[in-house]
Amino acid sequence: MPPASPDFSSSVKLKYVKLGYQYVVDHFLTLLLVPVMVGILIEVVRLGPEEIVNLWNSLHFDLIQILCSSFFIIFIATVYFMSKPRCIYLVDYACYKPPVTCRVPFATFMEHSRLILSNNPKSVEFQMRILERSGLGEETCLPPAIHYIPPKPTMEGARGEAEVVIFSAMDSLFKKTGLKPKDIDILIVNCSLFSPTPSLSAMVINKYKLRSNIKSFNLSGMGCSAGLISIDLARDLLQVHPNSNAVVVSTEIITPNYYQGKERAMLLPNCLFRMGGAAILLSNRRSERLRAKYRLVHVVRTHKGADDKAYRCVFEEEDKEGKVGISLSKDLMAIAGEALKSNITTIGPLVLPGSEQLLFLLTLIGRKIFNPKWKPYIPDFKLAFEHFCIHAGGRAVIDELQKNLQLSAEHVEASRMTLHRFGNTSSSSLWYEMSYLEAKGRMKKGDRIWQIAFGSGFKCNSAVWKCNRTIKTPTDGPWEDCIHRYPVHIPEVVKL
Amino acid sequence: MELLITVCFLVLFCTISYFYKRFSQMRSHSCYMLAYECFKATDDRKLDTESCVKIVLRNKNLGLDQYRFLLQTMVNSGLGEETYGPRNVLAGREETPTLMEAHEEMDEIMFGTLDNLFSKTDVSPSDIDILVVDVSLFSPSPSLTARIVNRYRMRDNIKSFSLSGMGCSASMVAIDLVQNLFKSYKNAFAVVVSSETIGPHWYCGKENSMMLSNCLFRSGGCSVLLTNKPCLKHKALMKLKHSVRTNIGSNDEAYGCCIQIEDQQGYNGFLLTRNLTKAAAKAFTMNLKVLVPKILPIRELIRFAVISICKTNNKTAKPSLNLKTGIQHFCIHPGGRAVIDGLGKSLGLNEYDMEPARMALHRFGNTSAGGLWYVLGYMEAKKRLKKDDKILMISLGAGFMCNNCVWEVMKDLGNGNVWEHCMDRYPIPRKNTINPFADKYSWINDERLNFVRMDLSNIILS
Repeated sequence: MPPASPDFSSSVKLKYVKLGYQYVVDHFLTLLLVPVMVGILIEVVRLGPEEIVNLWNSLHFDLIQILCSSFFIIFIATVYFMSKPRCIYLVDYACYKPPVTCRVPFATFMEHSRLILSNNPKSVEFQMRILERSGLGEETCLPPAIHYIPPKPTMEGARGEAEVVIFSAMDSLFKKTGLKPKDIDILIVNCSLFSPTPSLSAMVINKYKLRSNIKSFNLSGMGCSAGLISIDLARDLLQVHPNSNAVVVSTEIITPNYYQGKERAMLLPNCLFRMGGAAILLSNRRSERLRAKYRLVHVVRTHKGADDKAYRCVFEEEDKEGKVGISLSKDLMAIAGEALKSNITTIGPLVLPGSEQLLFLLTLIGRKIFNPKWKPYIPDFKLAFEHFCIHAGGRAVIDELQKNLQLSAEHVEASRMTLHRFGNTSSSSLWYEMSYLEAKGRMKKGDRIWQIAFGSGFKCNSAVWKCNRTIKTPTDGPWEDCIHRYPVHIPEVVKL
Repeated sequence: MELLITVCFLVLFCTISYFYKRFSQMRSHSCYMLAYECFKATDDRKLDTESCVKIVLRNKNLGLDQYRFLLQTMVNSGLGEETYGPRNVLAGREETPTLMEAHEEMDEIMFGTLDNLFSKTDVSPSDIDILVVDVSLFSPSPSLTARIVNRYRMRDNIKSFSLSGMGCSASMVAIDLVQNLFKSYKNAFAVVVSSETIGPHWYCGKENSMMLSNCLFRSGGCSVLLTNKPCLKHKALMKLKHSVRTNIGSNDEAYGCCIQIEDQQGYNGFLLTRNLTKAAAKAFTMNLKVLVPKILPIRELIRFAVISICKTNNKTAKPSLNLKTGIQHFCIHPGGRAVIDGLGKSLGLNEYDMEPARMALHRFGNTSAGGLWYVLGYMEAKKRLKKDDKILMISLGAGFMCNNCVWEVMKDLGNGNVWEHCMDRYPIPRKNTINPFADKYSWINDERLNFVRMDLSNIILS
C-alpha cells in the first residue's frame, strides 16, 4: 500500500494561521488605535468648523494650570531625552588580508606536520583527519615564523606579526574613514594569547603618535569572544564621553602559540587557528550619522565560568612534556549550546517580535502548569534578524548553531565561507563575515544583523547591529579578489 | 508682556529639570571604595639579601662585572630583608617556570585577598557586577577573571575585563575603567584585583639592564571592592574624586624605556633603560598639568599664576606649586628608590610625605601594580588618614603611562591590615636602611679581582 501523502492542505492552512497570528500580535497597537482615530475623525467632520471654534473658546484655563502642566511636560521631556542612551555608530571597519606568501595549503600543512612530528605518526594521522573535516580551504594563512621547520616562536617574531596585522588593518581603516590618528579618543585592543609589556595598545599609540590623554585598554586572555567584549566596553565608554571616536582592534597572534607537542586534544587548534585581524571605528558623533554603516543596538554578555565543566572546556595547559597548548574538551559543543541558550534568554525579549515572545511565554506557562511533556518552543530568530554572523570557530560550531537556531544554509553561508577562506581567525572572524555579506551586496538599509561569538571561559557574547545605509558593491576589503568564486560547496570530507 | 513672562517661566522650568537630572546622575556616578585587602605571603617565602645572592649566583652566565653590578643594585635598592619571592625561584626552578606554578602563584594572591575581602565586607561574590583583573605579565586562557568567576561562582551576566600588558600603573587604569562603567550602571559592585607574576619572569641571562627587575620586583597584590550605591556611602572608606591618565607612548624613547624582550641568548626579561627617569618626569608633568587645576583651591592657583607672571619678569628660579594646599597625603608608586626620590623632589615633599612609599618599598619591594595599596595600607596603619583628607595616588608604568587618582577619605581610618605585625618597627630611620651586605661583600669591588680568574660563586657561598 503506498504511504499516505502528507496532508499538505492542512499544513498550508496552519502556515496562514501562524502568519495571521503574527501580524495581529506584532501590530496590536496599530490595529487598536486605527478604529479609534477613524471614529474621532468622523466625529470632528460631523461637528463642523464653527462648533469646534466654540468648543475651544469655552475652555478656561488658569495661568497656574497652564504653568503647572507645561512644567510637567517639560520636566518629563528633559528627563526622557537626557536618560536616552547615546546612539553608537559603526562608521566603518577594515579586515587584515594576509599576503599570498603566508598561505598554508593542505599539502604544506601536512608536509610540515610530518617533518615536525616525525616520531609520532599517529598524531600526524590525527591532524590529517581534522584537516579533512575542518571546513578550511587552501588559502588560509599562518604567520612567517610558523612556516619554519620547526616553528620559531620568538617574542620578536610575535611582535613582528602583531605589527604587520594591526598596522595594516589600522592603515586600511584610516584610509577608508579619513580618520586622523589625533582624533582617536578611546583605543581598545584585544588579543587573547599574546600580551607583551608595553601592551599592544601602547604599540599602536607609539606607531600612530596618538594623543596623550587617550583612554587605552588592552584586553587579553578573553578568548574568541573578546571582540564583542571590546565592543561592549567601547559602547559603555562612549556613553560617558560625548563626541568621541573609539577604535577597537581585534586580533589573535599565532606565532607564540603553535603547539609543538603531541597531545591530540591540543593539536586541534593548530589545524584551525589562522592569521587575521580587524580594526573597527565606533563613534557617538551626530555628524557620523549619515555615513556610518551600522548602528549598535544591543550587546549581551553571558559568562558560564561558574560551572566547572564550562570553565575547563577550553584550557591552556602544559602537556606531560611541559609543552604549552590549548586543550579542547569533548563537551565543547554541549557547553556551547548551553551558553547559547542562556544568551538567548536575555537577548530574546530584546529583539523578538511580540508574537514570538507571546508564544514562548504561553508554551513556558503550559509546560510548567499543564504538561511538562510539551516541546519547548524555540523562537524563530529569522523573524528578528536578516543576517547571522556566527563565529567561525570550526565546522562543528556552525553546524550546532544552525541546528539549534533552525537556520537555513543561506543564513550560515557567511560563517562557512569565512572559515573556508580565512580559517578560524578568533575574535576578528565576525568582521570577515560581515565583510562577506557586504561584498555579496546583501546589506540593505534597515537590515538587522546578529553577531554571536563563543570563547574560553566559557563565554557567549552577542551583538545586534542595524544597517544604517545600503552598502553598494563592489566593496573594498578582504573578499575583493575572490568574492566572485564564493559561495563554494564544502564537502564533508576533503580526501588528503 | 504675558508672553514674556510665560517664556521666562518655560526657560526656568527647562533649567530646573536639567539641573535636577544632572544632580541625580552625579549622585549615582560616585565611586566609593568599601574595602581593600593587600596580600602578605607566608614567612617561608621571605627573600632576604643572603638568599637573593644565592639565587643570583646559581646563574652560571654571570661574570665579575655582573656580580659587582648586582651587588651594587641590591644594596642600593631600598628593599629590606622581608620582601617575598616566588616559590619556584626560592626552590631553585627559576630557569624552568611552568604554567601550573604561575597559576599557583596567582591563585595564592588572588584568592587569598578576595577571600578576606568578601569576609570583611558583607558582600557576597554573586553580588559583584563588574570584575577587573590587571596582571601585566601573565594572561592565560581562560583569563584570570574567568578563573575568579569559576572559583566564586559569580553570576553569568557579570562584566569582566582582563587587562594585561599595562605595566605598573595598571591598577589606576582598572580604577578608571570602573569609574567609567559606574556612570552607566547604577547600584553596582565592582572588584579590582591588581597583581603581578614574578616566578615565570625571573631573568636568567646576563644583560645588566635586564637584571634590575630581579632586584626590585617582588610578590604582592591587592583586591579592592568599589561601589556606586548611594546607600553605602556611610560604610565607604574613600571616595574617588578625580582620575587622570596620561600616555606618552607616542614618544619613541618613552615607549622603549621599559620593555619586555628576549636577550641575545633567548632569555626573556624586562629591559629598563636610562631614559626611564626622563620619560617618567615628562609623563608626570603632563599629567599634573591636567590634574592640578581640578584638585587645588582657587586661591593657590591664582597665587601661582600671579607669581609666575611676576617671576617671568624677574627671570629668577621657577615658582613651584604648593600641592599641599589641596593634598594631604602622597601615595607614590614604590617603583624603586630613584623613583621615590625623583618624584619627592619634583613635588617638594619632605621625609614625612615620602615615608609611606619608602617603607612599603623596604617591607614589600616593588610589587608592580599592587604597590600603591601597600603604601595606602601604611598610611592607614599609622593612623594618618583622617576624614576629608585628600590622597594623591601617583603611578608610573610601561607604555609609558602616568596615571594619577585623587581620593577623599570618608572617615577616620586606622586598620592595621598587612602592616599590623611589623608596625612597631617602622618607620626605619634612613641610616638603618643601608643594606648590611654592602659591607660584607664590598671586597668584590676591589680592582685587583679583575686580574684573577676564579669561581666567585663558591667563594661567596662558602
